[in-house]
Amino acid sequence: MKGVGDSLWVTLDAAQPLVAICSELKNLFERMGNLAANARVVIDTGDLGGSEALIRELEGFLKESFSVASVSGPPGNRTRAEDRMRKRDMDRSWQYYRSDVLMLSGRVRSGQKVAARKHVLILGDVNPGAQVSAGGDILVLGSLGGAASAGQPDNTESIILALDFRPTQIQIADIVAAGLPPTPERTAEYARVEDGRIVVEDYLAARPFSRLPWPEVR
Amino acid sequence: MESKVIVVTSGKGGVGKTTATASIGAALALEGKRVAVVDMDIGLRNLDVVMGLENRIVFNIVDAVNGKCKIQQAAIKDRRVENLFLIPASQSDNKDALSPESVRRFSAELRKEFDFVFMDCPAGIERGFENSVAAADEAVVICTPEVSSVRDADRVIGLLYARSVTPKLVVNRIVPEMVERGDMLSHQDVVDVLSIELIGLVPMDDQVVVSTNKGVPLVMQKGSKAGEAFHRIAMRLNGRADLPIEIPQGQKSFWKKIGLKIGVGK
Repeated sequence: MKGVGDSLWVTLDAAQPLVAICSELKNLFERMGNLAANARVVIDTGDLGGSEALIRELEGFLKESFSVASVSGPPGNRTRAEDRMRKRDMDRSWQYYRSDVLMLSGRVRSGQKVAARKHVLILGDVNPGAQVSAGGDILVLGSLGGAASAGQPDNTESIILALDFRPTQIQIADIVAAGLPPTPERTAEYARVEDGRIVVEDYLAARPFSRLPWPEVR
Repeated sequence: MESKVIVVTSGKGGVGKTTATASIGAALALEGKRVAVVDMDIGLRNLDVVMGLENRIVFNIVDAVNGKCKIQQAAIKDRRVENLFLIPASQSDNKDALSPESVRRFSAELRKEFDFVFMDCPAGIERGFENSVAAADEAVVICTPEVSSVRDADRVIGLLYARSVTPKLVVNRIVPEMVERGDMLSHQDVVDVLSIELIGLVPMDDQVVVSTNKGVPLVMQKGSKAGEAFHRIAMRLNGRADLPIEIPQGQKSFWKKIGLKIGVGK
């Protein structure tokens, strides 16, 4: 056990029986005395996230016996492969990725159907009566008046964005929504899935992707 | 000037294609051009009724296309307007009687005889539509300021673009008082959605019903606002494309006009 930052980092062998682990921990914590109370404990079992159950049990035990504040697994470890990929991406300016986006400019008219395997980007308007469907996101830099279905068949992370959002019907994965009257101000709005329902928000106010600190390929 | 085949279409039925075909054809004939108007609504013919020529039909387009008669035998000369000829549809067949290929061959013959050939397309997007646009150089899309008509016109414009036929828009049956009240789409709303070249705005006009029932050309009725609008459209098709579009205005009553001057009321 050692102190790391503001937490106590306990390294243990998950293969040991629970009783042995508990008695070892008891020894360690008793020696610490008052310092153990309200401490944040990190249990490092060496493997990546396979020991959720063990950590929960120890959490119960430690909280009871020594009133620690919280017990958790080690913070999100990136694998080495991920690290290599991030460095490679930045070195090569993401240039080697083939585009998964179908980009069209012009007016999609009533009765026309645009279907893409991944993402769709339309510079222009989509008239009512037209249909746009995508395996990924649908972005309309214009007015969306037709029916849009993103994330086909089962990707609930997809979004539908339009600068003038007034579709007749939207669908993300297998969830369908319709019937919202368009907002009077022309702001960029987007639709996403939240708790199994489709939610439409002002895009610039919500800024959903500003939280992501690193450019990831979508 | 080379001959032009123009199809008058709309998608939706009942928006004024036949009236427009008859009126624009008559207007161009009055300007001195040799014009043929062709009724492509096989089985539901009414261009002949609107022009007052129904009792002069001996041969029709199906006969002419199948070679049973010559074009000159099928083309009926209009009673009132010089240089205007009607090729009527057949009332007993249906739209499968013609094929796009046969219409193309027939249109090549028509081009030799006439300066302008107007095809009155039937409603819909099936065989009748296919036949009518088969040989067209240009299209006039008729649309009324109603959501359903705009939706259907949009579909038809997509189909015309797919065949590389340039569509031009006429907004028909505008009621300016309703547009002012906000009860009817304005022509600008229609043009925004359809996004094609506008060649005319035609106001709602009771004279249309009168002249249709009497079989008299609308453009020869004095004082018909719709007739004047169709006349201007004909001129724009005849090379004067820069003629400014006149927006139909509501009839302001005398008291309303005074009220506006004084500043009372809207």
